[in-house]
This record gives sequence, C-alpha cells and structure tokens, in this order.
Amino acid sequence: MGLTKDQLAQFEQGKVVFKRVFTPENGLGPLFNGNACSECHEDPVAGGVGDEVEVHATRFVPPNTCDPLFQEGGPVIQQNATPLLQAHGIQKEEIPPSATSQARRTTPPVFGFGLIDAIPDETILAYEDPNDKDGDGISGRANRSIDGRLGRFGRKAAVNSLSDFNAGAFPQEQGITTPRLPVEETINGKPVPQGTDPAPDPEISLAEIEQVTNFLRFLAPPPRKFVKDHREQEQVEQGKKIFGKVRCARCHVPEMRTGPSNIQALNKRKVALYSDLLLHDMGPVLADICLDLATPSEFRTELLMGLRFRKHFLHDGRAKTIKEAIEQHGGEAKNSRDAYTALSAKDKEALLKFLETISDLFVPAHDNG
Amino acid sequence: MKIISLFVLFILTATTVFAEQRSEIEQCRSDLIGQTMGGRERCWKFQSPSQIKELVIQNKREDVQKRVYSITLILQDPKVPGKYKAEAQVVYEKVDGQMKIKSVGLISIAKIE
Repeated sequence: MGLTKDQLAQFEQGKVVFKRVFTPENGLGPLFNGNACSECHEDPVAGGVGDEVEVHATRFVPPNTCDPLFQEGGPVIQQNATPLLQAHGIQKEEIPPSATSQARRTTPPVFGFGLIDAIPDETILAYEDPNDKDGDGISGRANRSIDGRLGRFGRKAAVNSLSDFNAGAFPQEQGITTPRLPVEETINGKPVPQGTDPAPDPEISLAEIEQVTNFLRFLAPPPRKFVKDHREQEQVEQGKKIFGKVRCARCHVPEMRTGPSNIQALNKRKVALYSDLLLHDMGPVLADICLDLATPSEFRTELLMGLRFRKHFLHDGRAKTIKEAIEQHGGEAKNSRDAYTALSAKDKEALLKFLETISDLFVPAHDNG
Repeated sequence: MKIISLFVLFILTATTVFAEQRSEIEQCRSDLIGQTMGGRERCWKFQSPSQIKELVIQNKREDVQKRVYSITLILQDPKVPGKYKAEAQVVYEKVDGQMKIKSVGLISIAKIE
C-alpha cells in the first residue's frame, strides 16, 4: 500500500524543489505570482492551501468561442514583479485590453492529486451527459485542452495531467523558464526589458520538474477525520444520506478508481474525490472567464477531498463558509441548492458535519509531515 | 552548351536541396510525435502527424553534439475548435552516434481561428 524506498526518495527530492525559494538570481520573474510552490500551497503542510488569490483573463465570444489570449499574456496575469522590472516602472501584468472577463482564483490543496491523475479518461467520460438525456436537469461534459486531450486539473478542467500542470506552473507562477517553455513570460505580449532577467535559461531542468511531479504524485490524500463521539458519528452518517438525497452526489461523485499502474500506491485504487471532473453550468452569478471548451458559467465540479483544510470556498474564495458556498450554487446545481435550503436545521447541520469529515477511503500512500 | 550545363547543374542542386529540406521537415514532423511542449493551459502534446497542419524550419544551428531547429507550426486538433500558430525550438542531442530529439520548447503560441 505504501511507497517503495525509491519512491519515497523521489517524494523527498521533489519536496525539496517544491519548497525551493527562487530569487531573481536563480530565475524568479521578472513577472511572477509567488517565489515558491510552497509559498501558496503551504497550509497545514506543503501541498495544502494558501491565502493568495491570482488573476486570470480570457476573451469569450458567444456562443462558444474562447481565446485564452496567450499572445497578450493570458490566461494567468502575474501580480508581482522583481526589483529589476519594477525599476522600469512595471509592478505587475495588466488585464489584456481584448479580455472580456477576468477571474480570481484561490489556491486549492493538491493532496491526492496523483490519484486524480491516474483515473482513466474512460472513467470520467462515462459520467458525461452533455445533452441531459436522462432529463435530471444536470448535464456535465468534459473539457479538452487546446490539443484535444481530456482536461481534469484546474477550476475549468483545462489541463490534462499533473506533469503538464507543473511544467506550466513554474513559468506562469514563478517566472521560471523550463526546457518546455524556454523563454521568459511576456509582459502582456511584449518581451521583458533587457537586463531584467539575469539567470540563464532554462532556469529549471526537466528532471527537477519531474521530481516535483513525483512529490505531488505520491502526496497522500488527506486522511479521514474520525469522529469519536457516538452522537457525532450518527450525525455524520445522517449527513452522508442527505448528501445523496439532495443529489449533491450527482456531480460530487464520491468515488472513482484509478487505472492499472506500475506504481502500487496508484494501482487500481479507490479515490474519494467527490467530483465527476466534468464541466457544469453554475449559473450567471458565479460566471467569470471561459477556458478552452468551458464557457464563463461552466466550472469543473470542485473536489471535496480535503474540504476541511480550506478557509475560503468556491473557485474565487467568495464564500467564507461551506454553508455560504452551498447557498451560492446556481445553474445545474439550483435544484440541489433549493433542496438544501428546504432541509430542517438539524439535517443541514448533519450535512455540514459530513462534509467536514470527507477524505480518502484508504490508508494514504504517504503522509507529508 | 556551357549555359545549358550550368542550368542543368543549378536545377539538380536546387532539387537536391529542396529534397533534403523536405526530408528534414518530414523527419522533424515524425520526431515531434509523442513530445510535449509548453505547460498548463499553454501546452501541446503532439499526438498525431495530422495535428501538424504546417511545419516550416526557420533556422537550424548545429554542432557535433547538438542540433537546434527553430520552427513555426500551424496546429489544430479535430476534437476541439481552434487553430493555433506556434513558434518552437526543437533540440536534438547526439546519443550513440545518432541525433535524437531531446526537448521541444514552446516559444510562443496564439489562437488564429
């Protein structure tokens, strides 16, 4: 069930890179959001949540054309600049003039993402119902990246794999060039001024990115929160039943299974992700940017794994509590929200108690102590 | 007679250069399959030759150990709408006496349709 000695060594190597603090001398910036992966993914341990909120912007032309504005600095708009760039009067990247909307994004915990990465595409696609053939008011469709692959990571499910996410996170979040993106991020499409980027490119190797991917691949899902008190146990059980009754579980699918893997810790495992990893229309109030196939109001069903570690809720952190987050569900989730609103105070409390205990079903691959 | 010989020589040379360039493009196109450039939202995994609508070698730098092509690409996948123009750097390194593709770096990409 656990990791082999080699895998544990890979995990530890990757954690070092994940926690590495970059400076302008070893590659940070000139534009960046954070100076280390663990600056944002930090609480309660490396891989957890953070209080940073980043800004994204894209261009949407109804009914379904989305431009990620790569050539104008989109979709991630960096919010910080190194002193060398600030000396040129540039404090951050601006929202591109052609953007039709912008979005705020909180830092999600990344515990158990190796298991999400290992779920076969077919498993996710089996939950699709793009034309709502079953007539339950809930559709659900997969997003696809620009190269046509199934998306699963990110609030709009625009990224296919953990490896691709990391390869792009270094340049976009920290301004670290890689062999896969060997030139500095532009400033809204314009090259960075000469002399503002002292480190030679690429600023990190493919091997180091792979190490970070291994760290995340082997990072255990959060362990289950055990409730000792008998009365509370009953309340959690009741909450679990209500979760199904008000049809939260229709999109927040409690469990999927990983495919065959040479890595025993990821091989045919149950994953208590509480998401179908598909896009759903969440209504006009929550709508922000488009991304690939996702329209502004479509979001990937948020993973509830590790929900209790979060301090802000929904994609942009607008909800301060789980209760607030439920109450702001709209679109395809409106019926479930209304069913929640109609519950008795006792049943609402039971549901919230259950949500606080959500975690993975099995002994973690490795705890990140 | 001399002019005709020179003309034939020119045609032969031009044809050879064109054929070599053509085969270099085809080799590059084939080597790209399975490679991934970029990351996160700005990421392209070359899954089939049909995704590469156009490939032009803009520049080539080479020494004994390394070869670097600067290329431009028009990319499109049939499963999703959108056509993209990209600039990339394809790096080869000599392994066991043969040049093998090592990495593909995405320089820029923009949605064009």
